[in-house]
Amino acid sequence: MTRVLAIARNTLREVARERVVLVLAMFGLALVVGAQALSPLALGEGRKVVIDFGLAGASLLATTLAVFLGSTLLHKELERRTVYSILAKPIRREEFLIGKFLGLWFTTSMLLAGMAVILLAVVTLAYRDTPWQILGAVGLTLMELGIVTAVVILFSSFTTPALTAFFAVAATVAGHFAEDLRYFASQGASPAVQALTQGAYWILPHLDVFNARGLVVHGLSVGPDRLAFGFAYGLLYAIGIMVLAGVIFRRREFR
Amino acid sequence: MTARIDRAVVAGVACAGLLVALAGLIERAAGSRFERAREEELLYYPSGFMVRQAALGYETAAADIAWLRGVQYYGEHRLTDQKFDMIGHVMRIVADLDPQFVEPYVFGAFVLAQELKQPERGLELLERGMRANPANWRLAFETGFLHYVCRHDFAAAGRYFTWASRMPGHPDYAERFAAFANERAGNTGMAVLLWKQVLATGNRYMQDVARRELERLEAI
Amino acid sequence: MPRDRKAHLPAPSLTSGLREVEPLPPVRLENVSKVYRDPMTLRPFTAVDGVSLTLERGEILGLLGPNGAGKTSTIKMILGLTRPTRGVIRIEGRDPWDSDARKRLGYLPENPCFYDHLGAAEYLDLVGALFGLSRVASRRRSEALLARLGLAAHARKPLRKFSKGMTQRLGICQALLNEPSLLVLDEPMSGLDPIGRAEAKQLLREERDKGTTILLSSHVLSETESLCDRVAILHRGRVHEVGGVSELLSSGVLEWEIAVDSLSDERAAILRSRGHSVQSVGRRWVVRVERESEVQEVLRDLVQERATIRSVEPRRESLEDYFVRALGADGRPAS
Repeated sequence: MTRVLAIARNTLREVARERVVLVLAMFGLALVVGAQALSPLALGEGRKVVIDFGLAGASLLATTLAVFLGSTLLHKELERRTVYSILAKPIRREEFLIGKFLGLWFTTSMLLAGMAVILLAVVTLAYRDTPWQILGAVGLTLMELGIVTAVVILFSSFTTPALTAFFAVAATVAGHFAEDLRYFASQGASPAVQALTQGAYWILPHLDVFNARGLVVHGLSVGPDRLAFGFAYGLLYAIGIMVLAGVIFRRREFR
Repeated sequence: MTARIDRAVVAGVACAGLLVALAGLIERAAGSRFERAREEELLYYPSGFMVRQAALGYETAAADIAWLRGVQYYGEHRLTDQKFDMIGHVMRIVADLDPQFVEPYVFGAFVLAQELKQPERGLELLERGMRANPANWRLAFETGFLHYVCRHDFAAAGRYFTWASRMPGHPDYAERFAAFANERAGNTGMAVLLWKQVLATGNRYMQDVARRELERLEAI
Repeated sequence: MPRDRKAHLPAPSLTSGLREVEPLPPVRLENVSKVYRDPMTLRPFTAVDGVSLTLERGEILGLLGPNGAGKTSTIKMILGLTRPTRGVIRIEGRDPWDSDARKRLGYLPENPCFYDHLGAAEYLDLVGALFGLSRVASRRRSEALLARLGLAAHARKPLRKFSKGMTQRLGICQALLNEPSLLVLDEPMSGLDPIGRAEAKQLLREERDKGTTILLSSHVLSETESLCDRVAILHRGRVHEVGGVSELLSSGVLEWEIAVDSLSDERAAILRSRGHSVQSVGRRWVVRVERESEVQEVLRDLVQERATIRSVEPRRESLEDYFVRALGADGRPAS
């Protein structure tokens, strides 16, 4: 575990020292503040607009970061050959991969949490009322980030950064359609198409599970059962993906 | 060094691209800038479902963008040609994206009934709102309002006012209005009361309309 | 009950077990081959071909060969970075794939590269954590090593500002951090200046004297011949010869070079007539004598003539020369 944490800490440091993170964090701040400036146009619905934009921006930015930083993370290690001296230490391949995963997940989570805190502060100052219920939505988004990060690590364990980013974006987008796939499957033209859609339905992450933004912007809080389900599902899915990634990475040859 | 900058550029461009694509879709959906000639096209636009899919989990934020555009569309035409043909369409898209967003139903119904003189379409929108938010007193109250002021259907108005008065969070006047409407005590008096309520509680645009109506009824 | 019965058995005598507990060699390769496949064409390429090699405790073994001989491929298999296609590798009896096998192993990669975003001390902290050292122990050891390799003043400098030589020295630090019993060094002398090279050699000798087994690879013989106890010559993936440096290259003294300050034309002509080569190099003369037996005679003549003799040196065979001799026309380094 110390080895995993050492790799995670190093990944966190590596990622946090990237300029992109700073750029995107500023962008997020600008978004929340900008939404606040926009609110007089919203016919008295400014509070909703600020929360909506704040939550959407935070989750979009964190997901984008996870995909773009994650897709180059392993490749950079190979290209700069830093991985050789690390893997020659008494560390298992899986431990290295899990460390990378945790480091990236933690970094993007920090960004997400930071933006959530800014959002809470902005809304509290502007409307004299703290929308604590957004924390439930942020918690679920955190788990979604875990899944996205795991998917990115999985693809990067055997393919190029460009393909990793492509596959990860595709999986994320398709993950939002996962619920609709069952409907499409029932409408499928041929049995082959039906089987394919059914398969995709079971394989793809159901990212809708983690979207409670529509709930919290209207002042409702995320129920404990929904939170528990989201955490359990997110954790299990991420673990499943990481196991697969570990199996692939174990077989990898480092020429 | 260059690799660092490259990555920053790629991430930035991708991010901007995503946002532009999202904004572009909503822009299309809101359709406020469409030329008249292209409005017929919009009739075939697969409104709710497509836009909802395109929002990729950011439906409520997308609804806000459409809402902001809708409000601006109203404001622009309010100041110029008084044509609000697209408002119903935009508000329906907002409702598709975020069914729990109450304001668009109320505002959309209000514009449809008062500005376009199409109370039936306004009531349709409100009914959708009530189906998605059955415990919201405002939607029931506004429905009663439209029945009373625009359709002079006092029985229906009374029913909706009563309904509103039984929902959580309703204001005191809901009961009063229910009583009045049920008694059908003089059309104008009730109408004036209702408009005064709008003047006191509605947003700026609604207040303008209320003031106009009250002037017409010579109540101010 | 089995447990009871076992309790009544006599304890196994110490001597009976001893025969099996022969000390395990630090590294043993048995008929190891590595075949790579081109990812596009899938055409196989044999990088290592049936290598058998056993390292003995506390020796320095040089793995020598031209570029492309299979040195790095062999080392990567020993570290578990790649798997042998055929054959068996054991580190103290363990499969290199087992991460515990690397607990007391130090590795310096060829042209090492470390994380740009860290400082030298931070990197060594990371390495210490990977070796499972306590924070205090890791710090103490890394400070000592940084000081020993002349990097103490640069401990906080980001690694992206490190020169090639400094990176190489940090590489030696990270390989020694866990006080390894086995050191694997891929081209350890590359990137170092002559002084750095001498210091590194000194350090490696000290390590060997402490009992550390060292495997190092090189394609330049002169760097390593004074250091290695044994060398293995690798060529086209095969071990060509294994033995002591002097054993392998004793016949490798090609000629003796005698440098003198002044030389009369007469004497030069006589020397040439005896088959020696005489050349003027700047203000000096260099006489090249092929047979050792004739060196004494030439020297005597020169002394009689009162020529000032500056140096007498055997010119040894270089590894490149060795390949030309030992492998004939086929000895060209494989590309």
